[in-house]
Formats: sequence, structure tokens, C-alpha cells
Amino acid sequence: MIVFENVGKKYPNGFQGLKNVNLKIDQGEFVAIIGLSGAGKSTLLRTINRMHDITEGKLTVDDVDVMTLSGKSLRSFRRKIGMIFQSFNLITRTTVINNVLTAFVPDMSWFRSTFSLYTKEQKLKALECLDKVGILDKAFVRADQLSGGQQQRVALARTLAQNPQIILADEPVASLDPITAKSVMDDFKRINETMNITILINIHHVDLALQYCTRVIGIRAGEIVYDGPAKDVNDQVLQEIYQGAKEEAV
Amino acid sequence: MEERIEKAYEARPKTWVYNCTILAIVVILMIWSATSMETSGTTTDGGKIALNILSGIFHPDTKLLFNLTKQGVPYLLLETICIAFLGTVVGAIISIPFAFLTAQNLVPKPIAFMGRLIVMAIRTIPSLIYGLMFISVTGPGPFAGLLTMSLCSVGMVSKMYTEAIEDLDTKILESLDAEGCTTWQKIRHGILPQLMPNFASTAIYRFDINLRDATVLGLVGAGGIGAPLIFAMNAYRWSEAGAILVGLVVLVLIVEWISTKIRVKLTRG
Amino acid sequence: MSIYDRLFPPKKYTLSNGKEAYQKRSRGPLAALIIIVMTVISVKITGFSMTVLVTGMGRFWTMLGDMFPPNFSYMSDIWKPLFDTIKMSLLGSVIGALVSVPFAVLASTNVVKSRFVVALTRLFLSLVRTLPTLVTALIATYIWGLGTIAGTIAIGVFSFAYIGKILYEEIETVDMGAFEAIEAMGGTKIRAFILAIIPQVLPVFLSQSLFNFEGNVRYAAILGYVGAGGLGLILNEKVGWRQYPEVGMILLALYVTVFIIETLSRYIRKKLV
Repeated sequence: MIVFENVGKKYPNGFQGLKNVNLKIDQGEFVAIIGLSGAGKSTLLRTINRMHDITEGKLTVDDVDVMTLSGKSLRSFRRKIGMIFQSFNLITRTTVINNVLTAFVPDMSWFRSTFSLYTKEQKLKALECLDKVGILDKAFVRADQLSGGQQQRVALARTLAQNPQIILADEPVASLDPITAKSVMDDFKRINETMNITILINIHHVDLALQYCTRVIGIRAGEIVYDGPAKDVNDQVLQEIYQGAKEEAV
Repeated sequence: MEERIEKAYEARPKTWVYNCTILAIVVILMIWSATSMETSGTTTDGGKIALNILSGIFHPDTKLLFNLTKQGVPYLLLETICIAFLGTVVGAIISIPFAFLTAQNLVPKPIAFMGRLIVMAIRTIPSLIYGLMFISVTGPGPFAGLLTMSLCSVGMVSKMYTEAIEDLDTKILESLDAEGCTTWQKIRHGILPQLMPNFASTAIYRFDINLRDATVLGLVGAGGIGAPLIFAMNAYRWSEAGAILVGLVVLVLIVEWISTKIRVKLTRG
Repeated sequence: MSIYDRLFPPKKYTLSNGKEAYQKRSRGPLAALIIIVMTVISVKITGFSMTVLVTGMGRFWTMLGDMFPPNFSYMSDIWKPLFDTIKMSLLGSVIGALVSVPFAVLASTNVVKSRFVVALTRLFLSLVRTLPTLVTALIATYIWGLGTIAGTIAIGVFSFAYIGKILYEEIETVDMGAFEAIEAMGGTKIRAFILAIIPQVLPVFLSQSLFNFEGNVRYAAILGYVGAGGLGLILNEKVGWRQYPEVGMILLALYVTVFIIETLSRYIRKKLV
């Protein structure tokens, strides 16, 4: 369970990234975060695994206060949280399976990780994760020979290999074409339903968000302006999330 | 309407002035260069000599070409390969610290600039001078040639390594960070896999060049196929020179073919 | 390298759900083996010895030390050979680059349809490229006599082969749409080439020619050794007489020259691309 209590974030340059955020997200929810670019979607997501620090309030994940973590405890905390990026962030010059295997690196001994001595169980686990996203046949191909959709699936498999309880996805389908985007979203949905992993997803495509996610959080200028089930989102709500910001800009 | 078009015509970029200036500069430079063209020992029968050389090269001394003793072409080629190979390996290793010291995304600009000046100095000194200096260290022979090759490789190799380092994709580090990796693990699994193919490819490319440049070493007695080749040419024994040249050219072409194949594999996977 | 895969069949992984995946054996061990064997042979043949290197390295530093401080008063004798070297490389580079253009066109598969012509031209370019510049220079001194002309020709020959190769590779990657459009409008092949391909390859051609010139200045300094004029001539002389402060001055002059030319050329090349 992720709990935000009056969370705020002020950047060193004085910009208020998040303002008074109160949220409670239960295990196994599939949440879409929508809003304009720069509204704070990314910031919100990245505070959860502390890629960004918060400056006000309290953020707990499974009763752990995120701001108390550092060094080793932070790293082992991050093991439970998978993260997916818009630009896939793969090592393109090596094989797909090697990319997935990096998920095990933090738990390996110094010697084994330095010489990439993965065990057979780890390799099989990696292959199974690749199978779950449907690209087992690409396991030993170099990552740069894959299409964008396939690369994002590799990233997803890498995250699954981590055995996470939560997956944070930062614009995972923004650089994919509509059809590929849909099939990647299908993967997310399947993972969410079959493995009971909490998924938080930042997304530009409102229709995809409404179609796949159960809960929608609308954010505008760092503030939560809507939080509710996807089926209750109507034009008026979208107006509130998107239009309101436009007026402010004008 | 017409006025507008006329105005647009008037406002056209006048590139011809610029182009003409460039052309004039180039022509002047050419004329200036041509002024110092001189020959001292004017040879009137240049054509005849050229024919002699050509016939020698096309009728190589096959005895020398397939002679398996230490004076034969095969052994000389092997020696040249060894000089170039070990020279490349040593040079590639020396280049690594230089490359990291001159990468602008890693060290402060002034240090990177200083590093660049030093690398350029290493590159500017002609290989012959290195050859002569190393002969005073090791005595004449292939060892001196190998050391010369190493130092000559550093200039280019470290420059290309630096470019590879500056082109690193750092986004991958973000995802390793999110996975919970330590700094060393980020370097080992995020940076090394990106650099390795690039570094290997550069080293192979440099091996090609070193093999080609190895003839120069013979001039100062630093081993390899250069010395016998130049002796043969100075003594006008063209069929001998032909045999050595044929061996060298064939070797270089084969090595180039193989190295291109490997490099394509390294970059495209 | 399918032989390798046949010798070492791919490793099989069976997943818990019965699916299978095959991993080709890594080429790493083979590469490592080759490198180790080559290193051992090379160490033997070249007589590599750490002790000799460590004990003798002192002499290297003394020699280098002797070059500093350079003899600045010697500069007055350097100007002419220095400019000779620059002129040799400049003229040689330009001539080589210009001559290479028709050959590069003949070696491009997308312009010339005859595979025989393409293969023949490429073979010729490769052969010329493999010829050591020093050998070309030496031959040139036999034909044209000692002096800068021989050096210019050697540099020209090298530039010809180098630019030729890069140019035909560039021409082959050009977008042929414009070429076809002009042919479709009724233009001849030559017209289409001038209008459609030249503008696309010109920046690369110029930038590579400049780059080639940069390298040639450095190389031209060696050519004097075989009597082909330029800095090498006095360098050879001063090294022979062990006048190291003079050698240091020559190297310093060369360094500054190369630095200026590289900076200029990098600036121009940045503008071109």
C-alpha cells in the first residue's frame, strides 16, 4: 500500500512540483496518472521509489517511510519496485537476455556480478519472464535489432524478473505506434490481473487510460484534481484536468 | 503582388559572393603550393625506370616469396603482423586512461583540454622519431618497432575511445538505479557493455592501420618487412621488391577483409 | 560462422511450461584464445622483454629531455621546409581528391550498373590504398627525382585511394529519389548525377578531404626520409647529427602547425555538415 500524506515537492530553483498530495493506493490496483506535460506526473511517480526526494509531508510504501531510507536500505527497497521508462533504457549493444539478467545483479555477490556469472536458475527465470511478455524467441538477439514495442517488452520482462510488488511506468507507450501501444497495455493489464502487482502508469493517451486502468488520478500544476474510478471520468472531469491548466497558461 | 515578388527576389541570399571568395582562396592556395614544386636530380628517363619498376613488380621473385627461412617473405610478414598486433594491444591498453582523462562528460573542461593537447603531442611526433628513440632503448629490431607502434596507436585510439565515452547512453544508468544497483554495478552492467564492442572495434581498425604503416619502421631498423623492402628498392632489385610488395598487399587486403567483417558484427550484432 | 555453431551446438534451456530456447555458443572463448595465442607468438618473435624496457626507458626520457628546451634560433631555417611540407600535402590532397571523383563514381553500384566495372575499379582502389605511401614516395623519387614533387605525388596517390573509397561508400548511401526524378523529367544520367547526387555528397566529400589533408601534413613530415622533400629532410639530418635541441624545435613547429590546421579544419568541417 502506498500512502501520500500532504506530500509536497519544491525544486531547488523554487518551482513547486507537487502540492499537498493525499493518496492511498492499495496493493493490486491499476492506476493511470493523467495530466498535461509538466503538471507533475513524472515527479509524482518518481517520488515513490525515491528517484526524487519529497520536501514536505510523508510518503510510506508498505509502512516504510521512504524518506528515512538511504544507501543500502534504499537499494533493497527499490528491489521491490519495478520501473519502466518511455525510452526503454536498454543496453542496446548486448543481448535481450543479458538486459533481463541485470535485474538480478543487485542481489549477487561482488565476484559473480563482476564476471556476469549468472546461475542456470536465473537464466531460466529470465527466459520465463521473456515468455510472459511473448518474446521468448528473441532472447538471444541483440536488443538493438528489436522494434520499439519489443524493446519495451524487454524492459517489462527485466522489471518482472525483479519480482516487484509495484511497477511504476513513466510514459511507457508514448514512443510507440497506437497498435503496439495497445498490445503493451494488454501486457500490463495481464500482469496486473494475474500477478496482483500494483501498477502506476503515467500516460498521455486518455482513451488508453480509461480503457485499461481501474482508477484515474488527474493532476494539474502539481495538485490532484481528480481521483476516482475510470468509469466516472467524463468530459467535465477532463475539462478540469486539461482545460483548467490551459486557462492558467493564458 | 509583383512588388512582393520583386522584393523577395531582391532579398535573395547572395551566395555567389561567398562562393567566389572561397573559390579564389582555394585557387590562390593552389598556386602558392605549386610554387615550391621542385626536383633536384632530374631524371630524363623516368618513363624507362617506371617501366622497369612495373615489370619487376609484376614478375615477383617467387623464390623469395615462398622461402620459409628467416629471410623469406612469409617470416617477414609474420614478424610484421606480430609487431602490429602487440603494438595495437599495448597501445589500446595505454589509451584507456588517456581516453577517460580527456572525456568532457567525465572530467572538468580544463583537464580534458590539457589531456587533448598531450594526446595531440604524442600523435604529432612522427613515428620515425619514436623509432629512433626506442632503438636507443632496446637496440635495433622488432621490439623497438613494437614500442613505436604502441605509442603511435595511442593518439588515434584514445581519441576514438573518448568519442565512445562521450556518446554513452546514460539513461540506462537511471533504470539500473531504479533496480537498486550500486555504483560499481552500474559501471559494470550499464557502461562496460556499451563500451566494449566500440573499444574492440577501434582496436581492430587500428591493427589494420598499424599493419599498413609497419613498412615505415624498416627505415630506421625497427624490424618488420620495411627494411628488406627499402633495401631491395634502393638496390633496384625490383623483382625482390615486387615479391615483398605482393606479399604485403595480399596480407593487408586479407586482414582488412576479416577485420571489416568482425567490425560489422560488433557494431550491428 | 555456422561451422562454429556446428562444432559447438547451441545450449538448450527448457522452461517450466515446456517451452524451449536455444542460446548460440558465445564467440568469446574463441576470441580470447586467438588473442592469447597471438600475444604469446608476438612476444616471442618481437623479443618483448619487460626488463629491457624498464632498464632502457631512462635513455628514452634523456633523449626526450635533450629536445627541451628547443633551440628557438633554429626556427629561421625551419620556415622553408615547413611550408614545403604544408604545400606538398595541400597540393597532393587536392589533386588526389579531384582525381578520385570519377573513380568513385565508377565504383558506385547505384550509378554504374555494370558489376564488372564496379568490381574492377574497387580492386584498383584497394590495391592503391594498400601500397605503403613510403614505397610510392620512393618510386616517385626514382621517376621524378628527389624533391617536393615526389612527395606531392606520393600524397596525391594516397589521398586518391582514401577519398575514393569513402566517396563511393557515400554515393551508395545517397537517396536515389531525386536522381530518378531528373531522369524521369528527361535529363541524362550525367545531368542527373550533377543535380541530384553531387549536392548530397559534397559536404562529406569536402569534409573528408579536409580531414585527409590534416593527416597528410603529419605524414608528409616523414616523406623527407626517402628524399621526397619537406621537414623530414632536415629532421633526418638533425637526428643523424644528434642535434636534439634542433630536433625539438622542428617537432614543436610541426606541433603548432598541426594544431592550427586541425583547429581550422575542425571549424570548417563543423560548418559543412
